[in-house]
Amino acid sequence: MQTIRLFLASLLLCLSLLGAAWLQSRQPRPVSLLPTLTGQVEYCLTCHADLPEISPSHPVETFGCVLCHGGERLALDADLAHSTMRGGRNPSEFAVVEASCGSGDCHSGTAQDQRDHIQRAVTSVQGTYAGAIASIRFTYGAQSDQTARLGVYPVQDDHLTTATGLASLGTFDPSQESSPSVKAFADYCLDCHLSAEPLPGAQYARLTGCAACHTPTANTDLDQPVHRLTTAIPYTQCNTCHNRGNYDLRQMQFHPRTDQPVDRLHDYYQPIAQFVRCEWTLDCVDCHTRFEAMGDGDIHSNKKEIQYIQCRTCHGTLDELPLTRTIAGQDDLALRMAFLNPVIDLKVGDTVLVTEQGEPLWNTRQLADGAFELFGKATGQRFTFRPVMGTACEQKLDQQESRDCHECHSVKR
Amino acid sequence: MKANPTRPSFFHHLHPPTIPAPQARFRYTLGAGGLSVYLVLLLVITGILEMFFYVPSPGEAAESVQTLAFLVPYGWLVRNLHYWVAQLLVVVAIIHLLRVVFTGAYAPPRRFNYLLGLALLLLSLLLDFTGYVLRWDEGVQWALVAGTNLVKSIPILGEGLYRLVVGGTQPGPAALIRFYAWHIFGLTLALVGVGAWHLFRVRRDGGIAVPPPEARRDASRISRFELVRREALAAILATAVLIVVASILPAPIAPPIREGSPLAAEARAPWFFLWVQQLLKWGDPFIFGVLIPVMVIVLLAGIPYWLPNPRPDELGRWFPAGNRAASLLLVILVIILLLLTILALSPLSTFP
Repeated sequence: MQTIRLFLASLLLCLSLLGAAWLQSRQPRPVSLLPTLTGQVEYCLTCHADLPEISPSHPVETFGCVLCHGGERLALDADLAHSTMRGGRNPSEFAVVEASCGSGDCHSGTAQDQRDHIQRAVTSVQGTYAGAIASIRFTYGAQSDQTARLGVYPVQDDHLTTATGLASLGTFDPSQESSPSVKAFADYCLDCHLSAEPLPGAQYARLTGCAACHTPTANTDLDQPVHRLTTAIPYTQCNTCHNRGNYDLRQMQFHPRTDQPVDRLHDYYQPIAQFVRCEWTLDCVDCHTRFEAMGDGDIHSNKKEIQYIQCRTCHGTLDELPLTRTIAGQDDLALRMAFLNPVIDLKVGDTVLVTEQGEPLWNTRQLADGAFELFGKATGQRFTFRPVMGTACEQKLDQQESRDCHECHSVKR
Repeated sequence: MKANPTRPSFFHHLHPPTIPAPQARFRYTLGAGGLSVYLVLLLVITGILEMFFYVPSPGEAAESVQTLAFLVPYGWLVRNLHYWVAQLLVVVAIIHLLRVVFTGAYAPPRRFNYLLGLALLLLSLLLDFTGYVLRWDEGVQWALVAGTNLVKSIPILGEGLYRLVVGGTQPGPAALIRFYAWHIFGLTLALVGVGAWHLFRVRRDGGIAVPPPEARRDASRISRFELVRREALAAILATAVLIVVASILPAPIAPPIREGSPLAAEARAPWFFLWVQQLLKWGDPFIFGVLIPVMVIVLLAGIPYWLPNPRPDELGRWFPAGNRAASLLLVILVIILLLLTILALSPLSTFP
């Protein structure tokens, strides 16, 4: 009797050991990665081997996953591994961006070393939404002028470089506002700054923080993660916020555009807009510069203070050629930008257009005959154009704003 | 398993040649004492295996636990076993204590060995707590801070004791290496030493408590070979159950404590200290967190000395009449501790 009991118990023990061995055999085979930047082994690829590399500038063998995303590099349990990730699926959210994109002085630093991306984006009007807030508060009597005082988060700038730069913004707190319209604005109209969750719908689909622009998600299902960062930003990504409709300031409501564009000409701008051919054949980023889109490092009160590209930036005027610069060395910003998005084979000695603030339009090049070529940053398409000088243009010399050019050159649709 | 009864092996020799059959029954002993010894053996083996991977430094401790749990082949099994065996040891040791008191087996000459047993229970709890802290992850942070702050609350001696335990003004590298040394060396050595003494005293005090020969209804005895067979059966079954449990239920694990890690929102002590955590909600940490638990231990230790003992002819069975006071006291104590534990677990009870 005793012997049988012992035998059965031993059988049970053997079965339990076999069960444990079976469980061990079902464990995923760990896939290790030793990124050169961290020197610390990580096992994220055990489950995420099928993710495409985020961009050629962030090779996975160099960066790994943890440097940007955080998380537990050794854990093979999904809950534990993901529990300490920065910003959930999006480490570029402004709340955590310093620790992810900014760590190791990558995208955080000074204007001198060209690494102040985070500082510029966080203080930009797209980040703070200071322009809309100031405008609404001024309209409804909560402040006496249109100078911004508040943003969706507080910011500070110790180093002003422009005449309109502000030293700081406080936090826009709807509970401190007395005007019902300003309160309603807070409830219904804070959907388009870089930290705001997008409105529901594929046409609004974008992430937040840096990825709002640099991760192409437009017209996709946001539940499907997109593992991509790019400087080749198509107009559709800008249009997840811009050109989507209009705000009704009396009802304090957003009215989405109702047309159903089928081609790019009709899709680019809202039906009411006036624009010229190059605007809709190019992408927004082909003309609008880093300072305009990401901020120039100063806190501004509205878009007008930061948007400065005009038709004449590329085309010049009747009596002036556009500004240009010849690339002198390998460290030139234009070369570095062209390296990131190689739509153009820019070389030392090439002459590119520059803006009045000295920003290179690195996707352009002066040709031997004085004309220019431009490559679409998102499309790679090549365009050529001549300066206005010496043409039959009848524009008056004192009317050189883009809207003056639109008088003759606007597109009919 | 044919053993020569005239020449017992070393292992057989550790057992008395025969023991009385009625008191050798499982329903009398509950197998708790023997199982405790076996569980300690399992803990030593799995603990040694864990030491090959564990790194006792704040920066690496939790990550080395993750390495063991996820990357080392069968590391998860070793870790989960170590965890579950440790939990089971506390349960089995408490069952052993209940059995000894409810059968009155602590009566002289076994009074001193009862104290040794109590010391072993306390050592097991300290080993559990120090082992728990070695994870050095967010899950243990609250218990680490609260537990060590209790030491600080002791009047006059507190500050000095705290420095002794923690090795500084707050838990850091010195605290971890101290907990590690206590866990793998100091407390383990004490447990094995006192444990050996406890087993020696069992034999010296005449083996398992039995009534005098003339009072026995059943005078039959079983041999050491039969006893060892029963022990082997219990050990094999316990191992099988533990392997199944360790395969299904992973030991708790959490992200490492890092610079600026927030204290976990749900602060919960390890289950065997939940009653102390509940007491702490009611007032002064010294009175409720130190004095009352010490009084519970003193009360338990005083049972054989202050309360009426059973008569010798009442020994060897459950709930002898002469032992009513001790049984009643222990029942009340167990109910109070259980209630406190349930209260600590209930969502209504919040920490101030």
